[in-house]
Amino acid sequence: MGYANSDHADAAPLAVKILVAGGFGVGKTTLVGAVSEVAPLRTEEYLTHASVGVDDLEGVGGKSTTTVALDFGRITINRQLVLYLFGTPGQERFWFMWNDLVNGAMGAVVLVDTRRLEVSFASIDFFESRGIPFVVGVNCFHGVRDRTREEIRKALDLDPQVPLVLGDARDRAAGRDVLLALIDHLMATRSRTAPHPVA
Amino acid sequence: MRHWTEGFEDEDADESLVRPYTITGGRTAPERDDLALITLVTTVSEAFPEAARGRRRMQPEHRTIFTLCKRPLAVAEVAAALNLPVSVTKILIGDLIESGQVLARPPLSFAQAGGFPDMAILEAVRDGLREL
Repeated sequence: MGYANSDHADAAPLAVKILVAGGFGVGKTTLVGAVSEVAPLRTEEYLTHASVGVDDLEGVGGKSTTTVALDFGRITINRQLVLYLFGTPGQERFWFMWNDLVNGAMGAVVLVDTRRLEVSFASIDFFESRGIPFVVGVNCFHGVRDRTREEIRKALDLDPQVPLVLGDARDRAAGRDVLLALIDHLMATRSRTAPHPVA
Repeated sequence: MRHWTEGFEDEDADESLVRPYTITGGRTAPERDDLALITLVTTVSEAFPEAARGRRRMQPEHRTIFTLCKRPLAVAEVAAALNLPVSVTKILIGDLIESGQVLARPPLSFAQAGGFPDMAILEAVRDGLREL
């Protein structure tokens, strides 16, 4: 297949990644586990950050280290291509600074729970501000579709071009469909922004 | 004179940071900054004599990486298998790259490609996902 860098094809496959974000308890690891070919793996990283805000009563500042854990899964697309899915850690104010996690992502799925839409606002803001393409997956695991698509879009203040997909994060087919919606969105955005490919 | 806290069980978060950096010989930052979470690491064939020389100086964690990566694994997968933080794992993988025991293949950087992946990659991912 004619991938860029295919001169390395004799070595390792090429890796790409998609982020699965959203607030605490929206089903990120559940979605990763539903579509991954291996049980979700867990890894952690030490993030150093300026200690400001609520901890900083004296105005001293300084640096502190936080351990942030994330769950991820893997889908072997073919012999030359592997897709990794990273469920972002719950502590948003830390992973937003984790460049290695964010850099090079194809795009993101922001999961929302209609009972607690507000826990996913920060993720949507983050991807919008970074210009990272994303789709919204509405996790209907509690079986209740208590809000219409339009109500959810309005509550999330979603750009009309951002796809919104309803599904159960525990279901493999539903997880696959939200990922496919992201790929379609990437293809559509790509052809909109680059109508005349130069090379 | 003994401090009164000596002998107390120290639950401080910093304690867990000490042991991983013992494995790295006290190094806390990788010498190379080109390893990403999804850089794929592959063991170089054992047949290469230069690599065999370096293997004698390996720590147990280096040997584990060497064995694990006979099948290409992402840095994050190696970290998960070793149960070590990503930054510590990168230091160890960096050692193995330096001594020629493993090869690292960087992921595609979409930021460099104008922000969007190649259409051929997107089509391949789409086709692969449809088979799930």
